[in-house]
Amino acid sequence: MTFSIDEWFVVVLARTIRDREVVFHGFGSPCAQVAMHVARHTHARDMLLVEGATYAVNPDPPFIPPTGNDLALQQGAPYRMRFEEFFDAAARGDVDRMFLSGGQIDGYGNTNVTAIGPLDRPKVKLGGGGGGCNLAASIGSLTLWTARHRSGRTLVERCDFVTDMGHRTAVGTRAELGFTGGGPQWLVTELGVFDYDADGYARLCQLFPDVGLDEVRAATGFPLRVASDLRPINPPSPAEIAALRTVDPLGVRRSEFSPQELRRTFTHGTSAACAC
Amino acid sequence: MPFHLFADKLVDLDRAASAVVDGALVALGGGLSARLPMALVRELIRAGRRDLHVLGSAHGIDVDLLVAAGAVAICEESYVGFEQDFGLAPAYRRAAETGAVEVRESCCATILAQLRAAEFGLPMLPVRGVKGSDIRRLHPEYAEVTCPFTGETLVVVPPLRPDVALIHAPLGDRHGNLHLDQPYVLDERFAAASRQVVATVERIASTEDVVAAGVTIPAHLVTAVAEVPYGAHPTSCYPGYAYDRPHLAEYVRAATAGGGELAGYIDRYVTGTATEEAYRKVVGEERLAALGQWSASTQAWKDLFR
Repeated sequence: MTFSIDEWFVVVLARTIRDREVVFHGFGSPCAQVAMHVARHTHARDMLLVEGATYAVNPDPPFIPPTGNDLALQQGAPYRMRFEEFFDAAARGDVDRMFLSGGQIDGYGNTNVTAIGPLDRPKVKLGGGGGGCNLAASIGSLTLWTARHRSGRTLVERCDFVTDMGHRTAVGTRAELGFTGGGPQWLVTELGVFDYDADGYARLCQLFPDVGLDEVRAATGFPLRVASDLRPINPPSPAEIAALRTVDPLGVRRSEFSPQELRRTFTHGTSAACAC
Repeated sequence: MPFHLFADKLVDLDRAASAVVDGALVALGGGLSARLPMALVRELIRAGRRDLHVLGSAHGIDVDLLVAAGAVAICEESYVGFEQDFGLAPAYRRAAETGAVEVRESCCATILAQLRAAEFGLPMLPVRGVKGSDIRRLHPEYAEVTCPFTGETLVVVPPLRPDVALIHAPLGDRHGNLHLDQPYVLDERFAAASRQVVATVERIASTEDVVAAGVTIPAHLVTAVAEVPYGAHPTSCYPGYAYDRPHLAEYVRAATAGGGELAGYIDRYVTGTATEEAYRKVVGEERLAALGQWSASTQAWKDLFR
């Protein structure tokens, strides 16, 4: 079976979800959105999936549409939360995991979705953080992701603006600020997977097989910490690929990747069969 | 916020939009590309409104078009854009980068707390987060308190009382009872926290019909209601119609180009159409009817989004 980087990437995101977790994604996050449905149809059948802009609980959408607030994302849902019902649950600690991305992500997992450059005259005004700056404080664990690691502009030494707090900012640590959630647990990129060490700092622990450590180092703006047992990422199972293709027939997940990146394809049984 | 007890609130769109004056704090209902109050947005631009302070959660073409038309001074939204679908909001981005609008970016949960403070008649409410975030630098009005019970230090936020909330609903009656389908986003909170609520509805129906469908926002919170079919176009208003993805693409292209192309879009679809009836003609009745075909089959629904 042949599969492409976007498919493998989404499966890696899905695997950060544990069964019986309450999981949420922000809007404008097709990879995370597809990943949640893949998880719910494979290893996490008893998770509670909350859609990012409809707040529908455990829907079975006929397809993932290109906008996060569409009726397709409520189809088959036994219940739809109100906006405030979801935010209240997150604030009191009843939501276990959220997927969060950023135009910039630093080593402590702080994310910037507000502006690149100085705040009074930004070079690029990004869309904004939605509910992230409160949700990131109290949701149990965060899975961070970006499909733009290779650009060299995404994983940065320091965010120009911290929209959503990771493990530590200039103001202090999560514990010092009284944040009840655990903060970033994983950072998944199109090059590899990071976990977070005892300092709350990103540590590369897994690599896609067609990616070298030097490539990761060159693309990473913060000092690269590498796990002593760095290993290749396990390929997706046929069941995971099948679930993904059923959930996302329009391929909305692909909108997060650069066209060059999407040329990366793999085949089961070979360790690094990049067809590019 | 005050209850509005007069019986007949049915007005024309221009009269409804006249509740918004220059400089008003305007809450925008709906979210992303769903149920945005687009007919009211277009009418505000036709009327030449200026210096608006817009408030909302995650929005798209409503805010971007108002900014493009020069109607906005302050933008207090949690997000403005077109998701991964069409990316950044071109006019908003440009205005933020040149300083033409004041970016008072906020967080959905913070806005919710501020609306609740207004609903409760309280001077502030605490929030759990915000502290580690630079969002706080955009809001000198936030403060901190020490909880007298636990000793925790928490950020507190003041009430937000919009002058007018603009809401689009599938169904309503002439008294202002509104039926909405989920997600309501912040519409119920906006309705309860705002001084005035101005609604457009796809169809005015009898009170019995609206009650049978379910009243989401009651008449006593609503000050004016106008019947405007396709009043959310090019965003969706299910069960009537899906969002018009090619139209959004056309807008984003024009807004990205700016200058004459953007002016051309505004002239063609907003200032050049004196009424919403004229707008619907320019968009095309066939195109609008096609957006209602989502329910024919899953394939038909998917085809609308390709």
